[in-house]
Amino acid sequence: MKYLMLIYGNQEKWDSLLGEEWPQEIAKQDAFNRKYAGTGELIGAYGLADAVNARLVRRQDGAPAVTDGPYLETKEYIASFYLVDCENAERAEQIAADMPWADQEPVEVWPIMHESPTNP
Amino acid sequence: MPEPRMTADRDPGDLLRELAPQVLGALLRRFGHFDLCEDATQEALLAAALQWPRDGTPDNPRGWLITVAARRLMDAARSEQSRRRREDQVAVATPQSELLSPAADADPGQDQDDSLTLLFGCCHPALSASSQIALTLRAVGGLTTAQIAAAFLVPEATMAQRISRAKQAIKASDVPLSVPASEAERGDRLRAVLHVLYLIFNEGYAATHGDQLTRPDLSGEAIRLARWLRQLLPDDPEVAALLALMLLTEARRPARTSPGGELVPLAEQDRGRWDQALITEGVALVTGALAAGGKAAGGKAAGENAVGPYQLQAAIAAVHDEAKDVDTTDWPQILALYDLLDRVAPNPVSSLSRVVAVARVHGPAAGLDALAELESDRRVAGYHRLLATRAHLLGLAGQHGPAASAYREAARRATSVPERRYLSRMAAQQAAEAAG
Repeated sequence: MKYLMLIYGNQEKWDSLLGEEWPQEIAKQDAFNRKYAGTGELIGAYGLADAVNARLVRRQDGAPAVTDGPYLETKEYIASFYLVDCENAERAEQIAADMPWADQEPVEVWPIMHESPTNP
Repeated sequence: MPEPRMTADRDPGDLLRELAPQVLGALLRRFGHFDLCEDATQEALLAAALQWPRDGTPDNPRGWLITVAARRLMDAARSEQSRRRREDQVAVATPQSELLSPAADADPGQDQDDSLTLLFGCCHPALSASSQIALTLRAVGGLTTAQIAAAFLVPEATMAQRISRAKQAIKASDVPLSVPASEAERGDRLRAVLHVLYLIFNEGYAATHGDQLTRPDLSGEAIRLARWLRQLLPDDPEVAALLALMLLTEARRPARTSPGGELVPLAEQDRGRWDQALITEGVALVTGALAAGGKAAGGKAAGENAVGPYQLQAAIAAVHDEAKDVDTTDWPQILALYDLLDRVAPNPVSSLSRVVAVARVHGPAAGLDALAELESDRRVAGYHRLLATRAHLLGLAGQHGPAASAYREAARRATSVPERRYLSRMAAQQAAEAAG
């Protein structure tokens, strides 16, 4: 089964990390990514650019109409997402709990709908 | 083994997939080292896929593949020679002539043993189900990593890693790659093999059949492997029954989706679209399997079950497939079979199907009572199919409002797109009945 895992962040959190600790934190994330790419369960790990770079796109007269945004009510926004394919929900939860910052911040785990109707 | 067709008129893809397990089996018998042999075989298959369309299929395609694979294997072994043990150096020294395909009067039984060993090895208990599936499709089915990845909608690199890990796990475990010696272990391993084939069958996507080479039809592949297994074990009733179950299920495929791609439940399917040839073959197989199971029971002690779960599931499928419509279906017979299945191999899906049979025989209220017993089991209580069954029975009982709510709740919990759409549609129908 496939799952989407979401990590949220905010500017305060990033700012509060001391400069010297940052490489260590990146190293932990890289180790996590390597480990689960190694098992064949991590399909992709993607860090999102800061919200200031995000855009809202509509279609107007057949062409893109782009505005700055999204203007978030809260200060939390998606920082990174992971696409995982693993045996079952329990395994997904194990993997999520293994993320470097899972002891401080919860990880959202969303099942992805599949196309085969005969799966449980 | 049946006479192979002349190679000139064979589709190269089909031929390669048929030869794959034979080549790997031959290499394994002489070298062991499953992971290296499997890599070498895969490389030979890829080389053939490139060269044969260009240069023509060789007169002895099997010999060609074995030669190329063995060469790759020797190259790989030589490059790691410093780390190899003495036995491996002896193996590397084996003359190539020993590896070419056997003489025309050679014993085909050896090939069959090799193939069975290979299949049993891929369904090694150290592996997770998805690893067993991937490895079986590659080593036994002869599919490329890219094809398997496409079938499961993951990137090729991800699938390659998964297969590589599976081979490492086999290497690391102490269980040797051979057909287990004791009958009990053989039985267990065969059950695992049947389970893997059934899982592959169920992975087959119902709606779209893309280009076979890029996105293989897994249901078709599972049937092909089940037929092949039946040739290897022609006397095993569960093997025959699994093939029967697949054929009887596949027979209904043309009616299972509407032209718009929506899921059509059994009760509403246009049975004129069912594949009668597959039904005939499936019924014959399961009839034979049940008779063979009955014979086997003669020698067993009282109370031992000779009838296996696939025989029962296939028998149920046969009753459905031989009926003209859902109302004239022999539901008491189906219920009796589900009662037996519940004792032999209980599982949530068949327990729910049994409840539907109870409702058909004894009325929806009785069905709801039977369902209540299942609902008390925490493991299945939130299961979307249980909620869907409850909704179905409430609808039959005329309680359309509660049925609509139950369908909506079931739809929320469904994890497949086709089922979610179907359950939402049923919720709307029940809501309309309640209002009307």
